[in-house]
Amino acid sequence: MTEVKAELVGNVWKIKTEPGAQVAEEDELLILESMKMEIPVTAPRAGTVKEVRVKEGEVVKEGQVLVVLE
Amino acid sequence: MGDDYATRVEDLRARRKKNLAMGGAEKVAKQHERGKLTVRERIDLFFDPGTFVELGLLAQNRDGSDTAPADGVVTGHGDVDGRQVWVIAYDFTVMAGSMGAVGEQFKAARVRELALRYRKPIVWLLDSAGARIQEASGSTFAGTGWLFAEQVYMSGVIPQVAAMLGPCAAGTAYIPGLADFVPMVKGTSSMALGGARLVKAATGEDVSDHDMGGSQVHCYESGVGDNEVESDADCIATVRRFLSYLPSSNTEAPPHTETGDPADRLVEGLDKIVPANPRAAYDVRKVIKAIFDHESWFEVKPTWAKNIVVGFARVAGHATGVVANQPMQKGGALDSDAADKAARFIRMCDAFNVPLVYLMDVPGFMVGSQVEKDGIIRHGAKMLYATSEATVPKVTIVMRKAYGAGYYVMCGKGYEPDTIVAWPFAEISVMGPEGAVNIIFNKQVESSDNPEATRAQLIETIRSQINPYLAAGWAMIDDVIDPAETRRVIVKTIEQSRDKKIDRPWRKHGNIPV
Repeated sequence: MTEVKAELVGNVWKIKTEPGAQVAEEDELLILESMKMEIPVTAPRAGTVKEVRVKEGEVVKEGQVLVVLE
Repeated sequence: MGDDYATRVEDLRARRKKNLAMGGAEKVAKQHERGKLTVRERIDLFFDPGTFVELGLLAQNRDGSDTAPADGVVTGHGDVDGRQVWVIAYDFTVMAGSMGAVGEQFKAARVRELALRYRKPIVWLLDSAGARIQEASGSTFAGTGWLFAEQVYMSGVIPQVAAMLGPCAAGTAYIPGLADFVPMVKGTSSMALGGARLVKAATGEDVSDHDMGGSQVHCYESGVGDNEVESDADCIATVRRFLSYLPSSNTEAPPHTETGDPADRLVEGLDKIVPANPRAAYDVRKVIKAIFDHESWFEVKPTWAKNIVVGFARVAGHATGVVANQPMQKGGALDSDAADKAARFIRMCDAFNVPLVYLMDVPGFMVGSQVEKDGIIRHGAKMLYATSEATVPKVTIVMRKAYGAGYYVMCGKGYEPDTIVAWPFAEISVMGPEGAVNIIFNKQVESSDNPEATRAQLIETIRSQINPYLAAGWAMIDDVIDPAETRRVIVKTIEQSRDKKIDRPWRKHGNIPV
């Protein structure tokens, strides 16, 4: 199981995956919006999305778990 | 022993042969089993063939016994790409490369003395258990410690490299701590102020040397290591490459290397790398590779503080230090580690006369409670300090974003760039339009019948004032250029500013925030 965490504080702008989805390494899982930038969050490895722990528009903290892969 | 001439010479040969054999066949085999080269194999790889001159081969253990050939450290000088470089190379096959009294007080000290006297780079090949405790424990420790003071005196005068090819435990870890460049071999190298056994005794923590101080810690988390490399041979090639961008000392210019890449080449393909949408990310390393001479990009600290990219590259053969924001990581926003990484690199380039090229696309410094706890003000101030202090030629290319203090530390107009130009979609501003409206027009928005519409309209008004022609119209920047012209601008600036001289008021030294 791999927890994908936010590397900086920001808004969840777009979620591009859902539980059950198969993802490859480097696939975009969601896009954060912070510091005037769209910041893609990608899968650190291939796997299945187990959970998406955030909603679009939600403010997340640095280090907060966004997606869980297995 | 007879006293005839031939016998004496034969005796010398035998002594040399014994010490050249290092710790003996068994220890050498063990070194190879660990995936490491021996100290002499490393030296053969490091220097141009046939150029190594050894000093102190006949050194031995302080007690006069023959238990420590060369006292566990090989010292001398040789050529790297035809230029003299001095080396202190620890021999792990001799008492685990431990630092003995003869090796340290005479051999290593001799190299430091001569490297500084001749103004030539010094390289440590580190593979050592640390101080030889059987010689060093007790209060005669009071007489030791010259090494680090001398490293500080050499700092900014001659380049210093600490190549991590094995353990580097205890106080010795300050050798890399003070060096200009620290490559680390993955798996075999480690450094820590206290080795595993000392840690266990001092605090009770149970941790291995590798887990505590391997490259996976220092090249990714702590930032003490610069570049993680795969093997001893890679490490040595990396040190040679690093030295190729630097002069032998601060009194020389960096070497000029013909690369065959034309000075006036237009940069193609930037439109496919840099998105027009200023909010979209891209990999700035592709931009660097497109602009600079083919195959000349050498990234430093590529795996730590990745939101800023630093390294050496050549442009029309001139060595330059590149400082570039990386939109792909944290949107390119600067934080404490990024500022530390850039400041250290900028000061190294300035000390050794390497011109600086700033490729700017920065949404600003990170803001918020977390970064304030990290002390971003004092860390960010290091980058302001380093950029202000640097008197080497400086070129600033404003590619896209240039917001707030990010614009300053990336060598904005106030920081004496020799040339500052912008690409046509550059956004230079104290802050983004959304932030500005929240601060300046807060009351106006709140008192509006339709706050959202008022807010949107004000944002658009401010957005229209963020374009490079406003800055160019005031001649605050030197020009707006087609991105394809970037390479020419960099080459022309380095050539125009070759005789640059800046005199500042006398002082003992400044007080850089640390």
